[in-house]
Amino acid sequence: MALVPLQYNIRSLLVRSGNTWLCIFSIAATVAVLAGILSLQQGFETIFASRGREDMVVLLRTGATSEGESAFDRTRAQIALNEIPEIATDANGKPLASAELYLATLLARKDGGKTNIPLRGVQPATFAIHGDNWSILDGRNFAPGTDEVVVGKALRDRIQNCEVGDTLRINVTPFRVVGVFESTGAYQTEVWGDVDRMRAALDVENYSRIIGVMRPGTSVKDLAKRLEGDKRIPAKALSEKEYLSNQTGALTRLFTFLGAFLSVIMGLAAVFTGTNAMLSALAARTHEIGILLATGFRPFAVFLSFQLEAALLGLLGGIIGVVMVIPLNGIQTGTTNFATFTEVTFAFRTTPYAITVAIIFALLLGIIGGAIPAYRASRLTPTQALRRG
Amino acid sequence: MPIRLLLRNLFGHPLRAILTVGSVTIAVFLLCILMAVSRGLDAAVAQASSTRLWVQSSVSLFVSLPNAYGSKIQSTPGVEDVVRFQWFGGVYQDTSNFFAQFAVDPKKWKDSYPEIEIREGSLADWQKSRTGCIIGEDLAARFGWKVGDRVPLIGTIFPRSDGSNWEFDVAGIYHSNSLSIDQMTMFFDFQYLRESQEQNAVGGPDGVGVYLTRLAPNTDPDGVIAAIETEYENGPQAVRVTTEAEFQRQFITMLGSVPTLLASIGGGVLFAIFFAVLNTMLMAARERTRDIGILKALGFGNAKIGGMLIIESLLICATGGAVGIFLAKSAERPLWSAISSQIPGFEISSAVLMLGISLAIALGILAGIAPALRARNLQPVAALRLGA
Repeated sequence: MALVPLQYNIRSLLVRSGNTWLCIFSIAATVAVLAGILSLQQGFETIFASRGREDMVVLLRTGATSEGESAFDRTRAQIALNEIPEIATDANGKPLASAELYLATLLARKDGGKTNIPLRGVQPATFAIHGDNWSILDGRNFAPGTDEVVVGKALRDRIQNCEVGDTLRINVTPFRVVGVFESTGAYQTEVWGDVDRMRAALDVENYSRIIGVMRPGTSVKDLAKRLEGDKRIPAKALSEKEYLSNQTGALTRLFTFLGAFLSVIMGLAAVFTGTNAMLSALAARTHEIGILLATGFRPFAVFLSFQLEAALLGLLGGIIGVVMVIPLNGIQTGTTNFATFTEVTFAFRTTPYAITVAIIFALLLGIIGGAIPAYRASRLTPTQALRRG
Repeated sequence: MPIRLLLRNLFGHPLRAILTVGSVTIAVFLLCILMAVSRGLDAAVAQASSTRLWVQSSVSLFVSLPNAYGSKIQSTPGVEDVVRFQWFGGVYQDTSNFFAQFAVDPKKWKDSYPEIEIREGSLADWQKSRTGCIIGEDLAARFGWKVGDRVPLIGTIFPRSDGSNWEFDVAGIYHSNSLSIDQMTMFFDFQYLRESQEQNAVGGPDGVGVYLTRLAPNTDPDGVIAAIETEYENGPQAVRVTTEAEFQRQFITMLGSVPTLLASIGGGVLFAIFFAVLNTMLMAARERTRDIGILKALGFGNAKIGGMLIIESLLICATGGAVGIFLAKSAERPLWSAISSQIPGFEISSAVLMLGISLAIALGILAGIAPALRARNLQPVAALRLGA
C-alpha cells in the first residue's frame, strides 16, 4: 500500500500555521503542567529515596513510623549502641553506631513566617558512619560538648541566622553557627549539633533513633527479625534506604494525585481543542483528500496520514512544553514533608524520566485528538470530496 | 435577527459545538476547584476565633509544655479558661487512614468551642466513660462509625507497654459550624491518657502539647499574649502564644509554594482555553464567509450579523460555563471529604460559581467579537466570490 508522503502533512501544517500553533500551544500547556509536577516529584525523590544506603541500619522504637515519633531512653540507647553484634566496629573496636536526637524546630524564614526545620543532635560516630557523604563546605564542624551548630547548605538561603558567625536561639539557649555542611539527601535541610547539648537545651530526656553500619555478611532484615521480639531493646530496624522511602510516601502520593488530576483534565481540554482544530483543517482540505483518493491512495493510507499529522502536532507540543519547563531545573522550592511535619527544600529536576513521560503523554494527546478527524477523512468518497471541495 | 439561522449554525456542526462546550466546561470546572482550594486556605484563617489563643513551646509543636503551666496561665488577667490539648498521633489499622486525634479536657473544650454542636450523643455521655471520645461527622462517615462503636488505635507517640491497641468508645458525633474547624477529628479525655501514663501502661512524653487559652469577653489579646510570653521568657520552656488566626496560618505557610502553583496553573488553563475558543469561533465564521456575503447582499446590517455571531459564541460558552459550575458543585462533597483534613475551608461557594459563569460569559462575548469584526469588513461581492 502506498503511503501518503509525510511532506504533504508538513506542508499542510505550515500552510495553516495559525491552526497548527493553536494545537501545539494547547498541548504544550498541558504537557508543561505535567512535566512541572513530575520534575517536582523527581526532585523530591532524589532528596530521599535514591540516596539511602542498604548497609546502614536505622533503629526506631516499635510502632514509630518516623524518627520524630521514635524515642529511646538512656539505658536502651546504651544497649543498642554497644550490644548489637551485627553492627560493625571501627579500627579501635568501637561500634560504628550513633544515637541521635531529631526534633522539628520553628525557625524564621527569610521571606517571612516561621517554618519547622529539623534539628539533629549527633554523636561523633555519626560522621564516621556517613564518611564521604558528609562534608564541611564553609567554616568548620562543631566541637563536641559545646553550644555550636552547623547548618545544611540548603538552609543558608531560606532561613534567617544561618550564616557562619550567626546565633540560633533554641528554646532559651543560644547556639553559635560555626559551619555550613553539604551532604547527600535530606540532611542538608537540617541543623546539626552535639546530641547531649541539644537534649539539655530542649529539656528532652530521650534519644530519637540509633543508626549504625552493618557488619559485612549480616543483613538488616535478619536484625529486624531478631529485635522485633527482643526483651531488652524491642525496636524496629530498617535500612536507611527503606526508612527514607517510607518518609516520602505522603508527598509522593500528593504529587502523583495532583499530576494525574490536572493532566487528565487539561489533557481532555487539549484533545477537544485538537479535534476541533483538525476538523476544521479537514473541512478546508476536503478537496485535497478527494485528489488523494482519486489518484489511488487507499482510505487507510489517508487515515494513517492524518493520524501521523496529529501525532506530529502532539510531538511538537510535547517538545515545546518540556522546553518551557527546562528552565525550572535546579530552582529550589520548599514544602512540608507530612511524615515529619518539617520543611524540606528540594529542586525541580527535569530528569529523563519526567521528559519521557511528558512527551509520550503529548504524543498520546495528539493521536487521540486526531482519531475522529482522520477517520472522517478516510471515509470520504473521491467524488463527494471533489465536489464539496 | 435571523434566529433560526443562528440555531441552524449552532447545530450544523454538532461535534464541534460539543467539543467547544466541553473545553469551556473543563476550564470553568478546573477554575472553580482551584479557586475553592485557594479561598479555602484563607477561610480557615478568616473564620478563626478571636477569643482563643494557643500557647505552645517556642521550639515547635513537637515539644510538650510542663504540666504546671496550666494553672499559671489560668491566673493571667484576662484569661477565662485553659484547655489542655495533646496530639495523639494514633494510627487506625494503616498509616494511610490518617486522621487527627487530640486528648482534651471535655467540658472546657466544649465551652471553648461554641461553633461545635454535638449532634448524636452528648457531652454528658462522653464524660461518663473514661474511654469515650467524640468524632466529627465526616470521620464517622469515612469509616462508618456510629455511637457505641469501639475504635482501636495503634499508639505511635504513646505506645502501650504491652504492645496492645488503644481502645476508644464513640460517645458522640459533632458537627462544625465554622470553616476553621474540620469534621475529621477525634477528641478524647486527657485524663484517659494521663492516667494510663501514670500506671506505666503507656510510654511517650508527659506534659501538655498546647494550652488552648480562652479570653474573657472584651479582653485585648495582645496584652495577654505578651504577659504569658514574658512569664516564661527564661524557661524552662519558652512559649510562643498566637491568636487562632496566626496558629492556622502557620499550617498554610507550611504548604510552601503550593498556593502559588495552583494560581499559575489556573491562569494558564484559562489562557490556553481562551485562545482555543477564539480560534474555533474564527474558524466557524470563516466557513460561513459565503453565508455572511448572502446575508449582506440581502440587506442585513453589520449589527445584526455581528450580533448573531456574538450570540452564537455566547450561547456556546455560557452552556459550557453552566455545565462547568454544575460539575464543580457536584464534585464539592467528594472532594471536600478527600481534602478537608488539610483544607477544612474548601467550599464551592456561590461567589466562586458566579465568578466561573461570569468568566465563561465574558469569554463568549470576547470570542464572538473577533469574527463579528471580520464580518463587518467583508464586502458582499468578495465574500460571495471567495466563499465556497
